[in-house]
Amino acid sequence: MNYDCIIIGGGISGLTAGIKCVHEGLSCAIISSGMSALHFSSGSIDMLGYTDNGDVIYEPHKYIDEFIDSHKSHPYAKCGRDMVADSLQFFQDQVANRNVEFFHNNSSNHFHVTALGTLKPTYLSQRSVFNEKVRNGFANKPSIAIINFEGFRDFHPELAASNLKRNQLFNDFEIFARTIQLSEFNNTNKNPHEFRSIDIARILEKDKNIERIASQIKEAAGNALFAGIPALLGIHDSERVHRKLEELTGLIIYEIPTLPPSILGMRIDDALKTIFADAGGVFIAGDKVISGEIDNNILTHIHTQNYGKAHLTAHHYILSTGSFFSGGMVSEFDSIHEPVFGLQLDYPKGRSNWYSQNFFDRKSHPFLHYGVDTDNNLRPRDKNGDTIQNLYCTGAILANYDPIREGSGGGVAISTAYFAARQIIEKCKE
Amino acid sequence: MIKLENISFDHCIKCTVCTVYCPVARVTHLYPGPKQSGPDTERLRIKSPELLDISLKYCSNCKRCEIACPSDVKIADIIQSAKWKYSKRSLKISRIRDFLLSRTDLMGGVATWFSPIVNFFTGLGIVKFFLNTFLKIPKQRRFPKYAQGTFERWFNKNIKEQQGYDKKVLYFHGCYVNYNYHQQGKDVITVMNALGYGVEMTDEKCCGVPMIANGFLKKATKNAKFNIKSLGKAVSNSDKRIIASSSSCALAMKHEYPNLLELDNSPIADRVDYITRFIFDEFKKGNIPEMAPVNLKAAYHSPCHLERMGGVVYTIEVLRKIPGLDLKLLHSECCGISGTYGFKSEYYTIAQDVGNELFDRIDAVKPEIVVTDCETCKWQIEMSTPYQVIHPISLLAQAIRDVNKSGD
Repeated sequence: MNYDCIIIGGGISGLTAGIKCVHEGLSCAIISSGMSALHFSSGSIDMLGYTDNGDVIYEPHKYIDEFIDSHKSHPYAKCGRDMVADSLQFFQDQVANRNVEFFHNNSSNHFHVTALGTLKPTYLSQRSVFNEKVRNGFANKPSIAIINFEGFRDFHPELAASNLKRNQLFNDFEIFARTIQLSEFNNTNKNPHEFRSIDIARILEKDKNIERIASQIKEAAGNALFAGIPALLGIHDSERVHRKLEELTGLIIYEIPTLPPSILGMRIDDALKTIFADAGGVFIAGDKVISGEIDNNILTHIHTQNYGKAHLTAHHYILSTGSFFSGGMVSEFDSIHEPVFGLQLDYPKGRSNWYSQNFFDRKSHPFLHYGVDTDNNLRPRDKNGDTIQNLYCTGAILANYDPIREGSGGGVAISTAYFAARQIIEKCKE
Repeated sequence: MIKLENISFDHCIKCTVCTVYCPVARVTHLYPGPKQSGPDTERLRIKSPELLDISLKYCSNCKRCEIACPSDVKIADIIQSAKWKYSKRSLKISRIRDFLLSRTDLMGGVATWFSPIVNFFTGLGIVKFFLNTFLKIPKQRRFPKYAQGTFERWFNKNIKEQQGYDKKVLYFHGCYVNYNYHQQGKDVITVMNALGYGVEMTDEKCCGVPMIANGFLKKATKNAKFNIKSLGKAVSNSDKRIIASSSSCALAMKHEYPNLLELDNSPIADRVDYITRFIFDEFKKGNIPEMAPVNLKAAYHSPCHLERMGGVVYTIEVLRKIPGLDLKLLHSECCGISGTYGFKSEYYTIAQDVGNELFDRIDAVKPEIVVTDCETCKWQIEMSTPYQVIHPISLLAQAIRDVNKSGD
């Protein structure tokens, strides 16, 4: 009943750490309040996408040595290059067991298309976003149809098509936007039903609908060889839906991330949670950790919103509560704090220094760099500046990296989780 | 003016994650989903009750939206109170049904006097036909059997055995144990005694969950006030804890009294818990009674309301201590019944469609028995699948009793 490890936060980082721990025979619980940032993510995993100057990185595994040398306090520097590579392989292998297949471009980065029709370098993408066929298919400059479902307001095919065409890589491609109608929409006019991503994903997931929709897509695509559609090909069995759709249309079907909720992200969430639970991990979804007791640099107890007083205990803890958006950090008008343990955060005084005047600043916003500073083993310091011996921080709560500017969010979440889990496993085995 | 503390709808960032995890929105487009029925339209209703969109009636109050919400919006509470605050009361026949379904204590109090007759009649096809035609209670729905006499009466006759213990717990038995299934209450006593605790009871009324779900908020408030006072008084001079063996009763007393009925539940808030939490604490201290192997393959289903409390972990850890129990954890799914929701003709198909996901998963495990904490989940699963359902406490009690048997 005393867990080997309790993880606070059930996003990509917490779940990756949890899976590693339970697979090594540790008893492990994850406490999660509300669904994670995966529901807002692109569903691709970045490792290192941009240099400090904003140039695209094509070979992240080669570039990482140089990067670590010049970013000594970066989470990657703490993990080391091998750990980063191993952890991404581990992640890829795990979710593949649950029918979420990730591809990389022979260890290089590739570009994926965003909802706005811009290109973004990334390291791992799901089969429906990047695979051999997609890569080779572009060589012949095929026409591309970008197709939406009428009534779905979280994707705009005209915008995506015209932005994509502005990109010099696609200048001389024929790219056009089309919209198709789903008969399911007819039955819902009585209601102000919204038809968000999840509703359409449930329609596309059903076997009885796939042939009808495939023929609609085929017709809309005309002479195009590629069809870019919003990422709505179901959650639990998207591989099969994607293959079937390609088979029936003869097209290369390419999924483009939409506004939240992100179906691509939810596939990862669903796969990770299932793997964790099947391996014997305990996932506590309805509660929130609000504080903890630290005695002699050891975290002894945590307190939760629903159960107040200390009750769940562990030998080791991981804090993977995310950044501001997920509530891992909270900003007041003139201060920023970490709400669970009050860990030290490094940031300049004066709110106007926290952000850039330009929302889309290439150099990103300073606040994305803020977070919990840790020792080389990812352990944070308490209010007195002493290192807490059995608490590790992983993922977006960490300081000294910028997921947007570097294109490193997924990689940091996964590699720090893996690193923390490895250390805990070693200590438990001692 | 709205109270400042009641603006949690304003924290909604419109991410729609709640609707993703809503079991009702999954199976029917008649329901626009928790985001739209809750925080989106709350601001309109505040402006004018005329703007109420009645489609929110399809909410079953399972509270999965609140578990999913990353912004801590009390979505289900908003929908539940809006459903009754802003809708016009019509004198429809279904209101009589709602009244009857929600008064579990009133109905139970009467039925336990004539239980063999009541049980006989509720099983009759002709009665089901009339219930279906006049009261809009679906004829497929199987009713729980009523017990003879109340659990309270049985307890008062057997109270002496409980007085010999130094340590005591206060037991909130709830309507199901009192009127339908005494054995579960007896199992609670077996387990508590084995842990070295004597069981006490005090005056209690229905926790209010069915009244809240059916729009009898005044009556629910009255019951809640009674329970807070009565239970609070019974524990005021000690550090005694209050245990409930129904997860929904515990949720009501801990969460719905303050959040939905806006009552001060501080006399009991830190004392009351669903029972496995209490047992977990005892087990953790090393106070684990001797248990005989049960030698069963069991599938555990976590009820929505226990999930909402974050209490599932305690049940799982307690079950894991039962020797010989091959425990398979089912993926968290709503069984569909949501208290009285599945007892209404207009929602019956939805309830069964929601439950199908869970029924299929149970079938894939092929357990010898299903374990769950909630009585209405039990009714739903037993009616819709060939599997028997047992409460975790009854399983514990069985393992404890079997030790004594083999010792004889």
